[in-house]
Amino acid sequence: MTLERTIAEINEKIQQQKAVVWTVGELKARVADVGITQAAQEVDVITTGSFEPVESTGAMINLGHTDPPIKVRQCWLDGVPAYAGLGAVDIYLGATATAQVEHSKHSETHLPGDLEREIRGNSSIPDRGGGHVIADLIAGQGIRLQATGYATDCYPRTSLEATISRDTINQFYLFNPRTLYQNFIVGVNGGEQLLYTYLGPLQPRLGNAVYSNAGAFSPLLNDPDLEVVGIGTKVFLGGGIGYMSWEGTQHFPRQKRLKNRTPIGPAATVALIGDAKQMSPDWVRGCYFKNYGPSMMLGIGVPFPVLNERVVANCAIADQDIVAPVMDFSIPRRVRPTFGLVTYAQLKSGQIEIEGKKVRTAPLASLYRSAQVAQTLKNWIKAGQFTLTEPVAPIPGDRDFLAQDRWGSKIDLG
Amino acid sequence: MKKRVTLTFPKRTIQMPIAYRLAKDFNVATNIIRAQVAPNQVGKLVVELLGDIDELDAALDWMRSQDINVSLASQEITINEDTCVDCGLCTGVCPTQALTLDPKTFQLQFTRSRCVVCEQCIPTCPVQAISTNF
Repeated sequence: MTLERTIAEINEKIQQQKAVVWTVGELKARVADVGITQAAQEVDVITTGSFEPVESTGAMINLGHTDPPIKVRQCWLDGVPAYAGLGAVDIYLGATATAQVEHSKHSETHLPGDLEREIRGNSSIPDRGGGHVIADLIAGQGIRLQATGYATDCYPRTSLEATISRDTINQFYLFNPRTLYQNFIVGVNGGEQLLYTYLGPLQPRLGNAVYSNAGAFSPLLNDPDLEVVGIGTKVFLGGGIGYMSWEGTQHFPRQKRLKNRTPIGPAATVALIGDAKQMSPDWVRGCYFKNYGPSMMLGIGVPFPVLNERVVANCAIADQDIVAPVMDFSIPRRVRPTFGLVTYAQLKSGQIEIEGKKVRTAPLASLYRSAQVAQTLKNWIKAGQFTLTEPVAPIPGDRDFLAQDRWGSKIDLG
Repeated sequence: MKKRVTLTFPKRTIQMPIAYRLAKDFNVATNIIRAQVAPNQVGKLVVELLGDIDELDAALDWMRSQDINVSLASQEITINEDTCVDCGLCTGVCPTQALTLDPKTFQLQFTRSRCVVCEQCIPTCPVQAISTNF
């Protein structure tokens, strides 16, 4: 008999606190013991989690009107500029926004790598940005607001200074245009100089390798063709509740895939939305990459209803069955040279081999916290506090990866 | 016994072959953990000295008599566990594997005895959880 469950049936069990919920780690272990068919009979919901930097993240905020009112045109929160080209007191604060970067007057002279950095100091990049401000707001702290505008008959006021907190603003929700990257790259540096990247420092002569995806524990690698999740899927977002709202930016489902349907490089992404007032500083953290800039780390958990055996089969994927391309960041071009593919089992072992050289690997996604997100979401579902939703539309599966030039098209993984 | 000390050399003593003198005169083995030495500048060495306790003390007294500043309180790396998110980025730049991830839980582990206080982990940490104690 083929197993078929509906989300309605599973939700009924969740509400009665009778649902069997496993984290994706528990599921993989169980499948190894009893096989897919048996495991699928036993479990109703599988939870996955991720905790990693998400650059394309930000917060929508409605400040509330002042008296007399102002039409905000420029706005800063703790000195970090927020976008104000919206309704009078609506602003969007991006996670990577920074106070103005001061350019050195020497910037026309060319100096070699490290020396250049030492003298010129990319260190003028502020280490605090929008991600830190958002995390502080979520933690309940007060934030200094400065705003200016031009006077109109509707909005005569032209400037405003105040302190806001999450309790003194109307709407405060995260809208993340790109999250849950389905696979990513591994960064190395084949050059002669230390590089500061969005994967952290990459040491010269293949000194280290950084990967930023949780591999077999990464949510969307457990649903490679996005058959279970879709627009409207309810998720754990920053310790609160969020929803998948659209395909993410740079969503590239047409990435080359292995036979098990997992992509061999960056592929699907989704946009998420969720009430930041419910979120917790445990799962939303400002972060900063030296000489690159600030960003934000965010905990995201995705539940998979076990509708059929296929869901379990997809979630049973192991690290040795998923690969990522090793990219050389010493060539600052859109299409970087690659050293080929490595498996996540190799990456997580702490060492990979590149051209005969052993290279230390380190993750950028917190595998420990990713597992904690999956565990927290499991606890919520078991306690009947979190039910599942039926997607209202699928995430498109036919997007190409267009580049902003005339001759290239897709990421070339060689 | 073993002693980890930080030695600060005034300009005048920078030319002194210190490891040789410690070995030859005091039978003390010098393991250099960290060095910052340049001609005509104040030099700094973090060393682990291995030898008989009396000879070690005599060696330290002799260095002090040579105007070398001997500090027994050595610099250490501290990790703020409330701030750390266990991402593990620091483990890739740590040259001595003092910073590692637990192979099962992927929680960050710090083995202080392996740390040479190279400080490469400090700017690497994306949440600024790592610092030195002075």
